Amino acid sequence: MKLEARRDRGILALAVVGALLVVAHASRAQTPDVPVRGVVEDTEEVHIPVPAGQPSAQAQAYSPYAGRKYPTRVLWGDTHLHSANSGDAFTTGNRFTPEQTYRIARGEEVISATGLPARLSRPLDFVVLSDHAEGLGLITQVYEGNPALMGDSTIQRWSRMIKAGGTEASSAVTELIGAQATNTLPTVLTDPKVAGPLMMSVWQRAAVMADKYNEPGKFTTLIGFEWTPTPGGDNLHRNVLLRDGQARASQVFPFSSWNSEDPEKLWAWMEAYEQRTGGRALAIPHNGNLSNGRMYAAQAFDGSAITKDYAERRQRWEPVQEIVQMKGASESHPKLSPSDEFLEYGIAGWELGNLTLGGKLTPEMMPTSYVRAGFMRGLEHEAKLGVNPFKSGIIGSSDAHNALPFVEEDNFFGKFPGQEPRADRWKDRSSTGEGEGGAARYTWQYLAAGYAAVWATENTREAVFDAMKRRETYGTSGTRMTVRFFGGYDYTPEDAQSRYMAEVGYSKGVPMGGDLKPAAAGKAPTFLVAAMKDPQGANLDRIQIVKGWLDASGTAQEKVYDVVWSDDRKPGQDGKLPPVGDTVDVARATYANTIGTAELATVWKDPDFKPGQRAFYYARVIEIPTPRWTAYDQVRFGVKMSADVPMKQQERAWTSPIWYSPSI
Amino acid sequence: MIRRLLREPLLQFLLIGTGLFLVYEAIDGGRLEAPREIVISEARIEALAENFASVWMRPPTAVELKGLIDDYVAEEVYYREAIAMGLDQDDTVIRRRLRQKMEFISENVADSVEPIEAELQDFLVQNAGKFARPAELSFRQVYLSAERRGDTVRADAERLLAELQAGRGPADPAEAGDTTLLPATMEVASPQQIASAFGEEFARQVDETPVGQWSGPIESTFGVHLVRVDERVAADAPMLVEIRPIVLREWQAEHRRRQNESFLAALRGKYEVRVEGPAAELLAVRDAGSAVR
Repeated sequence: MKLEARRDRGILALAVVGALLVVAHASRAQTPDVPVRGVVEDTEEVHIPVPAGQPSAQAQAYSPYAGRKYPTRVLWGDTHLHSANSGDAFTTGNRFTPEQTYRIARGEEVISATGLPARLSRPLDFVVLSDHAEGLGLITQVYEGNPALMGDSTIQRWSRMIKAGGTEASSAVTELIGAQATNTLPTVLTDPKVAGPLMMSVWQRAAVMADKYNEPGKFTTLIGFEWTPTPGGDNLHRNVLLRDGQARASQVFPFSSWNSEDPEKLWAWMEAYEQRTGGRALAIPHNGNLSNGRMYAAQAFDGSAITKDYAERRQRWEPVQEIVQMKGASESHPKLSPSDEFLEYGIAGWELGNLTLGGKLTPEMMPTSYVRAGFMRGLEHEAKLGVNPFKSGIIGSSDAHNALPFVEEDNFFGKFPGQEPRADRWKDRSSTGEGEGGAARYTWQYLAAGYAAVWATENTREAVFDAMKRRETYGTSGTRMTVRFFGGYDYTPEDAQSRYMAEVGYSKGVPMGGDLKPAAAGKAPTFLVAAMKDPQGANLDRIQIVKGWLDASGTAQEKVYDVVWSDDRKPGQDGKLPPVGDTVDVARATYANTIGTAELATVWKDPDFKPGQRAFYYARVIEIPTPRWTAYDQVRFGVKMSADVPMKQQERAWTSPIWYSPSI
Repeated sequence: MIRRLLREPLLQFLLIGTGLFLVYEAIDGGRLEAPREIVISEARIEALAENFASVWMRPPTAVELKGLIDDYVAEEVYYREAIAMGLDQDDTVIRRRLRQKMEFISENVADSVEPIEAELQDFLVQNAGKFARPAELSFRQVYLSAERRGDTVRADAERLLAELQAGRGPADPAEAGDTTLLPATMEVASPQQIASAFGEEFARQVDETPVGQWSGPIESTFGVHLVRVDERVAADAPMLVEIRPIVLREWQAEHRRRQNESFLAALRGKYEVRVEGPAAELLAVRDAGSAVR
């Protein structure tokens, strides 16, 4: 008996050591001034090396190459990726730490949550770990049964359910998301005294890890988090990105929707962050398609009409937005833009209602739900307020919750661990709930999409952040095609044949995300646009320019122009370009680059330009049809999906717009 | 050698544990609780009071403190009786929680270890491939579109190559090629950067191209290219001082993995595992596999 007791004491002693080490570790993590290499301390305004307008004639004549510090290589990244520190990721089985998630984004092979070897086809250049600020890391504490939280019976129950796994765990997640949406979370979780210190240490440890994996020139990690307000099920989420390292990030506590669901409060937090630390921050809204009309509403969160001040702050803090991700495409809806024949992509399922399917998406909501419509509303507001609240560039990202930002069709691991490759995954009902009349979403409706393409001068936190601030970005559905888009008044058709197109582009106008100067008498805007296929991907079908403008009556209009295309096609009598063709063999999940073209370039002049009408222009580049991930699943698992499941699609890129305003 | 051994975390872990055990024994003077005795130490009472204070922002009153102690006694009684009845045996929640505690201990021991310089140096040398800087290339390229030129693209390329090699090409060789968004030059580019722009096939071929002369044609998924590598910065093994933070990061990640493995292996070594039924074969294979590793 005595020996037994002695052994127990030995184990107790071991546990004590463990506990001491844990405490030591935690206190270390809470010291904000841990010196870490690579932290950038300067806060000077960065001078953008891109010529903002036209260089003087003299400068051009004497030194044609002097200003050649414009971005030459597009960088590929994901600004929307979750590790186990996100509650909904952890509870559904994601156990990847921030460190492991960075390794995955750098291209290392891992074993996925469901036991499958998984690896990116190509490494990413940059990544943002955007774990939910709400209960950041807390769910692991719920899981581990942290005594500080277990006084609450609901949390105890969730803890049990999550540990039970399977359907019980997913019910816990549904309950948790529901409780968050209805503001009925157990108070202990939102009590800053209890949850604060726990979350702070998770945040600081993640920031230290971000610094460890940030290698300027090779691989950039931007510190960030996701602010996740879902009032009534309407998606108002934003990803917040910092330009800074952990020395600054650790001085603050991420702003969560438990603090406020009002975007203006988030902007106030960002402003306070900048003032307190000397750092910089920006926010990226996403999934207007699930906002039931609230993303680009004419009202602020409190219901009042938006003001000039609101417009200025929104434009300042939200320089880019996410147009596509696994939860659908937000460009526009076929009902909003009936003459646009490329809008089927990423609509099915997502158009049913808001994020939780707590409310139906009605036709009245559409004009303030989608990105293109948002650009149009922006022109209308600008005419009244003098400032465009929705002047925001475009990126894409994944929103993967299994730490696997895999958005290529032949390597799609789903958004949640439960959606990882499996013969019958396609027909699973999504856990986001059920709407009126049994409306539901299914795994097959999720997209293998998207990526953020950034024209940064170098691969560093500062350069990537600054490129987003000047909106020199585009989004893709997962393909890595190169797209250049410039606007000015003096581009000529020969410019599209130049061997140094970028140089011409920057010297005679502004890149994507920029503003056209007012037009001189008799001049109309010209656009130099070019695209090159993904080296590993499909050929290109066409480049289009999407124009929105405010007509004489003050109503916003839209039109899609085909500006350059492959295979010498001629537009039909209806003005429509015939389809490029289709080489997809669904039975084998293959396609051939025997149609389409590797590169397209042209200069397009707006034939309908009116100098007094404000407008925006963005480019959309469409690939030839290729097999969808569902087709690869059919072949690899030998299954047959139902007839309504699409088997092919046309991948695409959307650039940030170039805006025209008579008043600038 | 001894120093090295002392740095072995498992050993550290055991030494610290044993040390604490001995200290505890010495202080406690063998005053072991009898099996049916529950001692509420002053330290325990302090902890209970502190825990109360952290929630309620004030110390407990005497009545409340008595309540806390009563509750603790009840918990202890239930705990011991439950263990005696074996209620912990088949409870998945308890088993997982205990497993997690063990993993947590192991992880944190690993995290708290800082390597000495010689260890990092050794790690760098042993993993030279992982830390090697790949060869970097500065090159120019002229692109000929197979799509635009059709069957003549190879012949065009050969002819242009001959001109360039003879120094008869245009001052700016890119002018002789077709329009493209592909960069005409890349400077000090890594294989990954080259592949990102031109594709893997091109990156592999340009890496094998001789320095200082126009060569080719080589093919990519875009078409045909003539290339001139102006400089090849050979692959090299960086010194520790140049990349210390990265070596440290990788050492820690590796160390943590090995630490967790050896911790489990050491504990597992205390047991003989016998699997019954047809699945026995599976385990035999796995054991052989881990022995090889």
